[in-house]
Amino acid sequence: MSPSTQISAADRQQVTDADVTTVIGLEVHVQLQTQSKLFCGCSTAFGGEPNTQTCPVCTGMPGSLPVLNEHALKLAIKTGLALNCDIARHTKWDRKNYFYPDLPKGYQISQFDQPICGAGYLDISDADGAFAPKRVHLERAHLEEDAGKSMHDESNRGGKSKIDLNRTGTPLLEIVTKPDMSSPAEAKAFLTSLKMILTYIEVSDCNMQEGSLRCDGNINLHINVGGETVATPIVEVKNLNSFRAAERALQYEVARQLDEWKETGQSIKDAPKRTFGWDDNAQCTIAQREKEESADYRYFPDPDLIAAVTSDEEIEAIRKEIGTLPSDLRDQLVQQYQLKPYDADVMVNQGRGLVEFFLAVAAACNNNKLASNWISQEVLRHLNETNSNIADYPVTADSLGQLLTKVADGSLEQTRAKDVLATMVEHKLAVDAATKKLGIRAVDSSELDDLCTQLLGANPKVIDEVKGGKAKAVGALIGQARKLNPNVNPNAVREKLLEMIAAM
Amino acid sequence: MSDPVDLNTVEHVARLARLELTAEQAAESARHLASILKYVDQLSELQIANDVEPFFGATEMINAIRPDVVCESTARETILDNAPDSDGEFYRVPPVFK
Amino acid sequence: MNISELSAFDIVKHVAAGDVTAVDVAQHYLNAIEADDRRYRSYLCVTRDQALASAEDIDRRRAAGKTLGPLAGLPVAIKDGLCTQGVATTAASKMLESFVPPYNATVVQKLADADAVMLGKTNLDEFAMGSSTENSAFEPTKNPWNTDHVPGGSSGGSAACVAGRLAPVSIGSDTGGSIRQPASFCGITGLKPTYGRVSRFGLIAFASSLDQIGPMSVSARDTALTMSVISGHDDRDSTSARQPVPDFCAELEKPLAGLKIGLCREHLDAELPADVQGAINEAIKVFKSLGATTTDIHLPHSPYGIAAYYVIASSEASSNLARYDGVRYTMRAEAETLEQMYGRTRTEGFGPEVRRRIMLGTYALSSGYYDAYYIQASKVRRLIKDEYESALNSVDVILGPTCPSTAFRFGENTKDPLAMYLADIFTVTSNLAGNPGISIPCGLGDDGLPIGLQLQGRPFDEATLLRMAHQFQQQTDWHLRRPQS
Repeated sequence: MSPSTQISAADRQQVTDADVTTVIGLEVHVQLQTQSKLFCGCSTAFGGEPNTQTCPVCTGMPGSLPVLNEHALKLAIKTGLALNCDIARHTKWDRKNYFYPDLPKGYQISQFDQPICGAGYLDISDADGAFAPKRVHLERAHLEEDAGKSMHDESNRGGKSKIDLNRTGTPLLEIVTKPDMSSPAEAKAFLTSLKMILTYIEVSDCNMQEGSLRCDGNINLHINVGGETVATPIVEVKNLNSFRAAERALQYEVARQLDEWKETGQSIKDAPKRTFGWDDNAQCTIAQREKEESADYRYFPDPDLIAAVTSDEEIEAIRKEIGTLPSDLRDQLVQQYQLKPYDADVMVNQGRGLVEFFLAVAAACNNNKLASNWISQEVLRHLNETNSNIADYPVTADSLGQLLTKVADGSLEQTRAKDVLATMVEHKLAVDAATKKLGIRAVDSSELDDLCTQLLGANPKVIDEVKGGKAKAVGALIGQARKLNPNVNPNAVREKLLEMIAAM
Repeated sequence: MSDPVDLNTVEHVARLARLELTAEQAAESARHLASILKYVDQLSELQIANDVEPFFGATEMINAIRPDVVCESTARETILDNAPDSDGEFYRVPPVFK
Repeated sequence: MNISELSAFDIVKHVAAGDVTAVDVAQHYLNAIEADDRRYRSYLCVTRDQALASAEDIDRRRAAGKTLGPLAGLPVAIKDGLCTQGVATTAASKMLESFVPPYNATVVQKLADADAVMLGKTNLDEFAMGSSTENSAFEPTKNPWNTDHVPGGSSGGSAACVAGRLAPVSIGSDTGGSIRQPASFCGITGLKPTYGRVSRFGLIAFASSLDQIGPMSVSARDTALTMSVISGHDDRDSTSARQPVPDFCAELEKPLAGLKIGLCREHLDAELPADVQGAINEAIKVFKSLGATTTDIHLPHSPYGIAAYYVIASSEASSNLARYDGVRYTMRAEAETLEQMYGRTRTEGFGPEVRRRIMLGTYALSSGYYDAYYIQASKVRRLIKDEYESALNSVDVILGPTCPSTAFRFGENTKDPLAMYLADIFTVTSNLAGNPGISIPCGLGDDGLPIGLQLQGRPFDEATLLRMAHQFQQQTDWHLRRPQS
């Protein structure tokens, strides 16, 4: 009898959420952004006609041999550096042996005892304070080749399965965390933060629809019963195809495990690790059919490959390519550019391209606040509406900077400037051309004098009101002035009117 | 030091290797495994110093790499030509479950 | 001109000079195969049309004054474990009975680029696992010296076709002795190069860390000629060495004076039959007469070589042969489910010896046994490699018999797989260490069958082995003896 069964059913029912600690570790497979496969020259492009991106090597034909893609190794090292991992100077390749029709050689080339990236960490936090900032430790990250795709007959009528080997041999980095996350929200934050780093350093497009980022979670509960901690059996949840799915699946699993434990009292000592799949339609996890025998992958060093050795100099050169990471950029925007943390987050979350755009605009107009406001409102609205990203934005940072310079020095009024920007975007015009197209021109002082004289002559009541201490009354005349001449600067009109009235 | 090779072991190993042995083949396999393992046990009788690193390959060279350049793939009909069953686009295999 | 008397060296010289056409040479060998291979069964397939077409092309180019490759017009036979584009490549397994590779092995391509003419594919033990060709799924090859005896293996077809003068040169592969042992049994010259010297790309893998392709022919000089074409780095094989390739032919005549020969006591003090012992002693005298000196050396762990070899080779094989699963290019047994298909295909497609080794290798790698078998064997391998290195610090080559006996009879060793494994006792250690080794004929046994002498050298020093073999062959005529037909 294991100790857990000594906890009575009645005691188990007393347990509340406050007694439960969730323990989550993640395994994330990231497809590295190479042109060609990990061990052969076939293209890694997504979406090709089935079996058109294969060769003797990736279909495991007799006599074919693998040769390592140097760029894949470099991207793996770059990722490891960005995730604060120890980088192995000497890394080797191992075979993981198992049979599956989309695994052509009957083994996967992977890394067993000398992964390219060792221990590391990633700090996570939540802007709304849903959880306290914490450090998620990484156990390792290793390179391996992807398998192909099997399409099974879904009709359950026992039709044949179809195999497409285009994806076979695509480079993957498997990132394994320690079980450091204690809520589905933390797991989601980890994934979000990881994805942002990976896209910032340009090692992966992290496109989850195309399978460039895949996630499995290991989860169990530590339940405090009268001062003693009982751990529930570990469940591996597979098929977490979006961050939302990951969070929901883990939430579901927390509730399911607690219910199951209350019912059965089974602890980690009573049951082996099980595998569940997340069903996104049914919004629940489903136990997967257990394999008849426990997996025995018979790892051993791949005799077709030799060790990859990386020097300190090479690693430092890769480190230089990383650039500023998102968390550092956020700090920089807050401290150096005086943005509000919220605005900085919005900007950083959009990716390095937008941040760089901001920095260029801010430099060009010499006004951080203005640049930040315009980008987080005008520019982002356009990007959202057109579902595009900053690289496709038709206005250059320099042009936007020029426009904002005019706004800053008062030569162009905000509302007019927005019209100008809209014209610049629509017709892909520079500031001057767009201004001209809208018929906007500078109003000189004699023109302004004439206009104000005319308005005051027609509205003596306003003069009286202002003299009576109600300076606001000039507001009525500013609207009229803009009707007569749309190019006038409202502030300039206001000042001129007040000046004239004062002189009367 | 080798355990006696019983039929359960043979069955387990055959299953890992995806061999479907008849009772007769399994018995022959058990005999053969037992005899070769008995012979191989001379290795475990050797006292080998702890600092002896296993030697896994006849070469201890490092760094054979290729640049990340896409090469032309093999034509699909050529690749599928050798397949025992394909539909011209995919390899086909019997279903996992009947 | 009697083409059958011409060495490979002569053929190339005469074709280049126009004394004989490539077509005549090819036709001569094709005729000989047709006449004699019914008895030897050394070829699994003869590429007659392809051979004549490439010979014609060579003759045409010669007539047009174009430069020809260094082996122009030289017929070669290729072990059927090497992939040949458009030509069935079976590894003598039912599993690959209808496999037609869409690519050439690097060695095959290099030979074609050198204008050699491929005659066909030769028989072997299935997936190169065996020492007699009795494990071929199709038919055993006979020893031309006595067809009741095996030719050795696994490159038995490649050895027999040279011994029977059905090819001047053949290509074999050697994982534990598979070039040297059949060369010894068939009275020809066979070289296992240093691991990494010759590209393995396109060689159907048995045990990747041990496999090495090499040439087999009548003489050391013809072997050197072939080696200079097939050696060298290959970008497609990560284990291929970046070592300069010497001009093996140019080195042949360098005197042997001062060369130090190590006599491996573990080999020579083994219980050798008197005829083998006597032939080796006579050979030592020849080398001494050429100015070499001898000294005793020890490879104390070499008696453990077979045990380490069988664990390592079988482990690698169990993984290398996992790809034969009925999905992409093998035969497939009828079945209703995937798992049935795997099990039936692999049981029907592989022969008994291949299944035995897959079982042993799977066992040795499996959870709970890995350290005791695979790791322990790999540590012994390290000791053997270190012993070679230290022995070859004090001597230039290690001399001994290639095999403990002459060719055995069919069926003699098939009942006891272990007895068959022991045929490789003197050859496996150089595969474990990665060093080169050559077998040359040095006498005839009491049974009238050839005896082989093995020379093993330092890594990438095939030149010394070929030079010694060549000068031995200048003093003796064992290599020119032919089976009485």
